Amino acid sequence: MTALHHVEPGEWRRSIERALGAGERFGGAWARAQDGGLSWCALIVSAHGVRVIWTEAPGGAVESIVELVEAAGWDEREAHDLYGLEFDGHEPIRALVTHPEDPAAWMTPVTGDGVHQIAVGPIHAGVIESGHFRFHVIGERIFAMDPRLFYKHRGLERAAEGQHRDAALPYVQRACAACAVANTLAYAHAVEDAAGLQPDRELRVARTVLLELERIYNHLHDIGAICAGVGFAPGTMAFAALKDRAQQINAQAFGHRFLFATIAVGRGTVELDVAAVDAMRAQLRELRTDSRAAWRELEFAGSLQARLGGVGVLGRDDALRLGAVGPAARAAGIREDVRTLAPRLAYDGFTPAAPHAPAGDVEARLGLRAVELEASFDLLAGLLVAPLARGFVGRAEPGASVGIGRVESARGATACAVELDGDTVTRVHLRTGSYANWPALAWATAGNLVPDFPLINKSFELCYACVDR
Amino acid sequence: MSALAAILQLLGVALAPLLPGSIQALKARLQGRRGPSPWQPYRMLRRLWGKSAVDPEGTGVVYRLAPPLVAACLLAALVIVPIAGHAGNFGLGHDALVLVGLLALARFALAAAAWDTGSGFALMGAARDLMIAVFGEALLVLALLVAALPAHSTDLRAMSAAASGGAIWSGPAHWCGAIAFALVILVETGRQPIDNPDTHLELTMIHEGPLLEYAGRDLAFIQWAAAARHWVLLLLGAELFLPHGSAFGAGIGLLVLGVVGLCAALAVIETAEAKMRILRVPALLGFGCVIALAGAGLWVGGVGA
Repeated sequence: MTALHHVEPGEWRRSIERALGAGERFGGAWARAQDGGLSWCALIVSAHGVRVIWTEAPGGAVESIVELVEAAGWDEREAHDLYGLEFDGHEPIRALVTHPEDPAAWMTPVTGDGVHQIAVGPIHAGVIESGHFRFHVIGERIFAMDPRLFYKHRGLERAAEGQHRDAALPYVQRACAACAVANTLAYAHAVEDAAGLQPDRELRVARTVLLELERIYNHLHDIGAICAGVGFAPGTMAFAALKDRAQQINAQAFGHRFLFATIAVGRGTVELDVAAVDAMRAQLRELRTDSRAAWRELEFAGSLQARLGGVGVLGRDDALRLGAVGPAARAAGIREDVRTLAPRLAYDGFTPAAPHAPAGDVEARLGLRAVELEASFDLLAGLLVAPLARGFVGRAEPGASVGIGRVESARGATACAVELDGDTVTRVHLRTGSYANWPALAWATAGNLVPDFPLINKSFELCYACVDR
Repeated sequence: MSALAAILQLLGVALAPLLPGSIQALKARLQGRRGPSPWQPYRMLRRLWGKSAVDPEGTGVVYRLAPPLVAACLLAALVIVPIAGHAGNFGLGHDALVLVGLLALARFALAAAAWDTGSGFALMGAARDLMIAVFGEALLVLALLVAALPAHSTDLRAMSAAASGGAIWSGPAHWCGAIAFALVILVETGRQPIDNPDTHLELTMIHEGPLLEYAGRDLAFIQWAAAARHWVLLLLGAELFLPHGSAFGAGIGLLVLGVVGLCAALAVIETAEAKMRILRVPALLGFGCVIALAGAGLWVGGVGA
């Protein structure tokens, strides 16, 4: 059960300051409408677990914490757009979810000699998700970049409200295909956390296997995408083929290439008998051998390597300040991974991957994915030693109204907050690894060349749909 | 012989699209894809030719006239470049410097059209194209100079004749010219590692940028001109910087082999090499200029002969 701390509105800023001072970190924030009034909740993450602090917003306004935690910037802007919540001290609060016509309402103001803008998207010249990027450039160099997302905002969180907790799960799943397992697992954990349920060993193993299978196909895809960003066809094609093999393994074992409908609340949905587990282990072993060989090819491709170093640098301090998570943060030298603190999953003794040189550039992010692939293959080899059974959950503690689930997706820490009224979901909020990393991507873009942006973008490879929800 | 050469030169108008088509097809094979057939550019041209042209609001005569002007430049270039050292008389002569001017005029026309549209991407591509052209055109002139020195003439027919036989390869000068011209081919045809002809990634475009606003018949002109650029450059490369004899019949055979070989080389390079960081391109081209200058210097110094 996640601890819930209420603070007085006047104490909001100070209580966040205290938490940060005690070494805790901000993990997301969300608004809720109750009894006609608005309240504002923040997820606080520490090395031991998570807790929620919340406050009311009398008159629809709360103290802003952006000056303490830059990472809360997007959360506050989103709540301002979707709930009309005002933030004292967040000036000017620029639009995030809504798309006002006036550029000043959403863009960083940049003026000066020789500065001009490049507008890209939301319709791109390729099969890319919809997002608009506004570059302020001086010649070929990027001065600042403003992403404008939420073109795929479907109001999934609102639509899930009032649903039975089982019926609300598909809403979370449809937020994004490539993070389907991570997102639904975060949701399932949140509901189980609220209901005081603990998964048994079988369920923990099965869910861990699914989460790692998702990571493997995503990381393989992301490595190929970086090659595509510089037009290095052999790498693009090799990793596209490997990714497809990983997805075929998914489809063969669980009936879906993107592992849809493999996670349910309070119970297991997948099982594999001895033969199926053996087959999967053998396929994964082959895939591992081949992806190692393909990775070696990339390491010796001089024209590719020449493009990677020193590009799109996200330093450690900036990564911390902007709240970056996942491979992007670890490549910058932050050794944090939700898998080290996952009592609801089977990651006993997990240590996060660390790059040889945490330079925080494209090269480091690319290299980190290769290291993490090895770790995921290791984890799966250790877990796929016995048949996967449908696990169950058992009641471990009394239920509460609020639950938090946090898992490590291929893009970083994904948090889900759920509020329940009996079995009915009254509020669900999903903050994915991509959501946390977009401001960091924008930051890492500044100072680079315009033609290097696709490469930098692909080294983060953030989702749009699970940000937009 | 010159009548036959004239017919072959004009045949280039029809055959040029086969070159980028074959490169694309071979490249796809090398990358493990099925890819389009070598005839794909013809289908594209037919489709585009059947469509009407559109003008973005606010554009003027510069935008309107650029595509036919670009195509006309390349058509003229096509009849200037001899086939196996022989050419028909089309009244334009066969001077290498005229060729340089025509290629530059085509580039300028497209850049001016990009400026006329005012589109961000078009201007960005045009700016990059012109930045690269500053070095690329110098490289082209210098590489041609290395071939012109032994011929004591800038007449392409004489240059081709002077480069025939094996003796020219005994000194280092012609080798320097060949290396420089290989870079010229990469720049002028807009291929990897300098530009990626496949990409429409908006932010990385060079040659694709300025033609972004064009459609229909206008785009057909420009696409044909891009193919003709391949024809002109690869033909020149094979005639000046690949081994060949002075006999016309055998020369055509070797020319075909040379062009096919160069197409294959382009496909292999494009498969094996990633696109280079854009600000490194001038350094690469500057390096080519130094090699070409060294070649010219060696020849003048008497080492080349």
